[in-house]
Parts: sequence; structure tokens; C-alpha cells
Amino acid sequence: MIEMKKELPLVFDSFADARKNGFLAVKKIKDSGKGVVGQFCTYTPLEIFMAAGLVSVSLCSTSDETIPDAEKDLPGNLCPLIKSSYGFAVTDKCPYMYFADLVVGETTCDGKVKMYELLAKKKNLHILQLPRNQFTPESKALWRSEIVRLKERVEKDFGVTITDDMLRDAIHKRNEERRLLKELYELSTLCPPPITGLRQLQILFGSQFKFDWKEKTEEIQNAINQIKSGYDAGERPVSIDAPRILITGCPMGGVTEKVVKVIEEAGGVVVAYENCTGAKQMDRQCLEEGDPITNIADHYLQIGCSIMTPNPSRFELLGRLCEQFKVNGVVEMTLQACHTYAVESHTVKKFLEERNIPYLQLETDYGTADIGQLSTRAGAFVEML
Amino acid sequence: MKQITVGIDCGSAACKGVLIKEDSILAVCVKPTGWNPKETARTVFQELLEQTETAEHEIRVAATGYGRVGIDFAHKKITEITCHASGADYLLKGVRTIIDIGGQDSKVISVENGKVLSFQMNDKCAAGTGRFLEMSAHRMGVDLSDFPKLLTEGKRCSLSSMCAVFADSEIVSLLAAGKTREEIAGGIIQSVVTKVMALAGRVGTESPILLTGGLAQMEGIRKELEFQTGCPVNVSQFSRYAGAIGAALKA
Ligand code: SF4
Ligand code: SF4
Repeated sequence: MIEMKKELPLVFDSFADARKNGFLAVKKIKDSGKGVVGQFCTYTPLEIFMAAGLVSVSLCSTSDETIPDAEKDLPGNLCPLIKSSYGFAVTDKCPYMYFADLVVGETTCDGKVKMYELLAKKKNLHILQLPRNQFTPESKALWRSEIVRLKERVEKDFGVTITDDMLRDAIHKRNEERRLLKELYELSTLCPPPITGLRQLQILFGSQFKFDWKEKTEEIQNAINQIKSGYDAGERPVSIDAPRILITGCPMGGVTEKVVKVIEEAGGVVVAYENCTGAKQMDRQCLEEGDPITNIADHYLQIGCSIMTPNPSRFELLGRLCEQFKVNGVVEMTLQACHTYAVESHTVKKFLEERNIPYLQLETDYGTADIGQLSTRAGAFVEML
Repeated sequence: MKQITVGIDCGSAACKGVLIKEDSILAVCVKPTGWNPKETARTVFQELLEQTETAEHEIRVAATGYGRVGIDFAHKKITEITCHASGADYLLKGVRTIIDIGGQDSKVISVENGKVLSFQMNDKCAAGTGRFLEMSAHRMGVDLSDFPKLLTEGKRCSLSSMCAVFADSEIVSLLAAGKTREEIAGGIIQSVVTKVMALAGRVGTESPILLTGGLAQMEGIRKELEFQTGCPVNVSQFSRYAGAIGAALKA
């Protein structure tokens, strides 16, 4: 069993109040005796941690604050998500990273994989071998055995036993959460949508940082009720003429909200997110009957990320969302140096051309220097729709 | 009475203004943007009014370009892509492809009936823009305005760097290796156009093609573009005002 971290970092006193509060909030969880697991990717099967009574949290950073520190070890020409996440680990500036007793990563893109090797020197790390094919029996078997290995690691590190019934219960709870978040974003199928894309993103993103399942699901339900009753009472925060945009590509949140802002300032509205902050993780339910480990493995392996080859699940979802949300145009956000999404953007462009849906690719990073360029591109795109 | 409109295209290098009445250009004006785009735009606007002896209240104004956000006397703000498309269609009816080489960015726009079909802009990089040309000209000790004089038919050496910073040091070593300024100038033009062609490749280039932007009047660029696209490339005497004209038409 590992020893859980409960002390505040040495640099704590130098932090601003908001950050101090973040640390104190996680410390409270730790003091209550709960272990914390950090993950970087939608492929991580959170049910395992939930079943073990652990708190899990996303460690993908969304600010450029620690990139200079990261670049002491990592090359400049690397995806900002990888650099900033690593930067927060080496500077002890992120409460979740700092307090995580176990960090779980997958063999997704090359940059992350090699970053994990460096991160392993700082943190207690577990790597899941994720195959890049979702359909052969061999890859399914490999992935299932990796889920078993993760379960065993968690049991060993935290001194717990995870039974099938605990897993089934976790699957059920996670399904409920997925169902609610999906219900929430599907409100934007309405014309005009009842919320802006920025608000939708903030709710989806924020839900990753709520740790009590009951509170979290209640909050989402309340948000749904509130939005619905506002709409029924005639509230129309979005103009009916606003072109409806779907965003696809790399995960979003934090600084990359700028992409949504430039689109909405130009008079468009983002109605759906085909990415890891949005539909990619909420769209499907995990099977509840049968062997829970197999169900979990099968569920997660079907996520349509560009690190898969080929990647038909992404296009199935993208095509379906475009119809369901009646989108007028698709904007793809790729982070600088994210090769898998950047290369796949060509396939996305062709896929949408066949369906007569206009497409714009925006490449960006975690800085704010490119806002002018982004707003010109997004503005012109909205004007042409 | 037909409405008089003004379009102001405030780019990173130059601020262009056009006054249009009954579909005819009555006045044009251009000034270096300088450090205060807002004030420069105001000066350009005043000059257009003076040239045509028009009063401000008779006019509708639309602003475009990077500086558009700060232009508070504009009734409308439109992106330069949309404006270029309609301005180019005014200058060359039926235009299908616009190649714009501006101070800070270059872009290729595919259009039909003055409407944007798709577009590509260069990323955060000076290569393929006026700025790159200007830096390179200075490195050879000439002003941008004298640069075209260096261009001589058939004289060029190849520049391998696409990046403005590296090209700068490459030029120094080429000069040291005894290449003439004429040869290097030819190489610079080729490099600018190659970079722009990479954008064009993504959008496709259908004829007729119109070259716009601050460098449109540089014959060497037009010729190199014709060479690399294999199609005739047109310019208009008002090419650099295409964005402003489009804005005025949409005001
Ligand atoms: S985009 Fe791919 S690698 Fe990144 S979090 Fe999502 S599934 Fe994981
Ligand atoms: S955005 Fe792309 S490069 Fe960055 S971590 Fe995700 S898959 Fe890897």
C-alpha cells in the first residue's frame, strides 16, 4: 500500500488566494481519508476508481502558466496540453496533480507517452497499454487485460478489494452522469439553442471537477431544469439567426474557451462539441448487464479519438451530431503540434465536403497572442455561412 | 439621393480608405498604420471627406482589417476575408480566386459571385508576407520601394529557409558567398510565392485570379505567381484597396 499525501506543498504560501483555496479543498478530501487518482484522458475507466471509493480528477491543464517550466525538460514544439500538464507537476502548482496518490496514463499520442516517462520520476504512475485498433479480438483482449491490471494496481496501492458488484454500481452511476450531461447538451438541438456554446462548455468542463457523485448529478439536473424553465418562460439568450456551429478536435476548456468566444462574438453559436470535453465521453452508455470488466473495456475502447487508426467511431459520431444539431458549419480546433488531430483534419474536411457542410480548421495554443487571428478567421467563417 | 459609403481597411502595415458613390470610387487614401490605428483610420476618413467635400453625417462607414475593432465611428465591422471577396468581385467581375499578400498575413480566398466559398490564411509566421520581403530588402541595404529595381528576368538563386528569421541569416551567408543582390532578390520573391502557393493548394486556384494587397503592384510577384499557378494573374490599379472597397460596398 502506498502512503497518501496529506501535507500542503512547500510553495503553498506563495500562492494567490484562489489557488490556496483549491489546495485546501483537496486537502479536505485527503484529510477525510479518501485517496485521489489523477487521469489525463477519456480512455481512463473512471468506474474502477469510483468502485474503490477514490476521488478521480482530470489533470489535463488548460493554461500556459507552467509551460516555461515544462520547457526546461520538454521540447518547445510539443502540444501545449502535454507541456502545461507536466509543468504543473514539476512546479506543485496544481492541487489535483500535487495531491494525486496515483496518476494513470494511456499509450495514446507519442508526446504524452514519452512525457509520462519523465512524470514517473515525480509521481506514482500507472500506464495502460491502449491498442490503436478498436475492433480485432486481439486488441479487445489486450485492453480488457489492461483494465484488470489497473484494478489490481488500485487494490494494491490503496489496500482495497473491488468486487464485481461495486463495479456494476459504479457503471450505473457513471451512466447516470453521462445521461444527464447528454440531456444537458442536447438542449442545444433547439432552435435557437437555450444556452450559448460558452455556457455549455463551462458546464461540461466544470463537471469534471465535482467530486461528490450525488451533488454533481443533482447540480446537473438543476442546471437542466433551470435552462428549460427559462426557455419556456421565453428567455432567448441566442438569436434565431445565429449560424449553428459544431466544434470538433482536441479537448477544450480554460484558455481555449477563446475559440468559442471568437465564434460567438462573430454572431455564431456553438451548439455541440464532438471532443473529449463534450459528446465523445457522454454520447454512449456502458452496458450494465454481464461481466462488468468486459463491459467497461468495451465501452472505453470505442471512443473515437484520432490516436486510433482507422478511426471510424469519430466519423459516425460527427456525422450523427451534425444532423441532430442541424449544424451550419464545423470548426475544428487543433492544438499546436497535435499531429494525430492535425493529420486527421484532412479526412474530416473531406468527410464534411461530401455532406456539403462548411469546415474551418483553427490551430491554436494556450497563449492569447493569436486572438486577433482567430477572430478574423472565425468571423469570416461565420460571415460566409 | 444615392447613399455615399466609406470603407476603411486598417491592416497591420497600411490603413486604406475608399469612398464610393453610386458604385463608383470617388476617392482613395492610404497611410501607414503606425502605432495608433484608431487615429490613423480617423485621418484617412477625414481626407476622404475633404477630397470629395462630403459631410460626415451623409455617410455610412464600414471598417475591416486587424484595426477594425478600434474604429469607433464605423457603423459596421466586417472581416477582411468577406470584404476582399466583394471588393475583388467589384474590381474583376466573376473573379474566382483572390491571392492577397499583405503586410502581416497572406491569404487565398475562393469566391463565387463575390461570396466566400473557403479561405486559407498563413499561420503565425512572417514568411510569405510583406513583412518578410521588407526584412529581406533591408538586409540587402535597400528599401522596399527600391526592391523591385533589383528584380531581373532570369536572375534568382534558391533560398531554402521558409522562416523569416532563418532567411535573414541565409541572406547574409549568400551575400558573403558572392551571390549578387539581383539573384537573391529573385530568390526572395520565389520563396514568398512558394509559401503563398502552399495556401492556394489547400483552397484550389480557379481562374480568373486577382492579386490584391500591398504587394500587388510588384510586377515580379505577379509574374512568379503566374509561373507557379500556370494561370494568368490579374491586378487592378486599385488592388491594394480591395478590402476597403468591399467594406464600402457592404457598409
Ligand atoms: S483527445 Fe484522445 S488522447 Fe486526448 S483526452 Fe481525448 S481520447 Fe484522450
Ligand atoms: S491534444 Fe493531441 S498531442 Fe495533445 S495530448 Fe491530446 S492527442 Fe496528444
